[in-house]
Amino acid sequence: MSDVTTSHTLVDSRGSACPGPITDLAMAYRRSKVGDVLELWATDSGVKPDVQAWAAKTGNRIVSIDDEPDKIVVVLEIVRR
Amino acid sequence: MALPVAEKYGSEIESKETTSKFSIVMFSGTADKFIPLGVMSQAAAAMGMEVNIFITGFALPAFTKNPPAELPFPAEFAAMAPMLMQGMMAHNVAPWDVMLRQAKELGAHIYACSMMSEVMGLKREDFNDLVDDIVGAATFVQMAEHGETFFI
Repeated sequence: MSDVTTSHTLVDSRGSACPGPITDLAMAYRRSKVGDVLELWATDSGVKPDVQAWAAKTGNRIVSIDDEPDKIVVVLEIVRR
Repeated sequence: MALPVAEKYGSEIESKETTSKFSIVMFSGTADKFIPLGVMSQAAAAMGMEVNIFITGFALPAFTKNPPAELPFPAEFAAMAPMLMQGMMAHNVAPWDVMLRQAKELGAHIYACSMMSEVMGLKREDFNDLVDDIVGAATFVQMAEHGETFFI
């Protein structure tokens, strides 16, 4: 059915200190649905272990974690709400 | 440089618990203790945990409608305090009350100790909107049962 549409949401947490990025992610997660993709941008170095802990805790899937010159980019797929 | 985390966590997805409890008894009244109170509460709430904070003793005045203008640092940290505060500003670290508001937005609750409120002459209407209710210690112990409890 075409009424089930998933979305790709950018969560820009650049410049936000821990635990800001994980909080921004949790806020976006609350508005998400299964199948959605959340893309988190952050500059706080704690975000890499933190998103892995968050995904393990909430039962969601990390698609990728990339170190870009100016930011860390994490892509998550929401598989559990 | 993508990390192969999807494979690592993919197999664990189904078995994970979604909720657990994170309880804090906040007894202190100095700035050095309010910062971790905010950070840990916000982080635990963002992790989807049930967060309950019991404020008592020297922590209570900071949660009233007439809070102290500035929370003091203990004498042993006083020399480091200006450098710490400056660093926090430079790194956009949110003030403790803003972090608690974020935690509450994610479902955290804050309860004032009934006994200490009486001792300090504080009534329900004297507390600010961060405080959900005034409860006794037994109520909080019941809430915290089967979870982790921290004393700050």
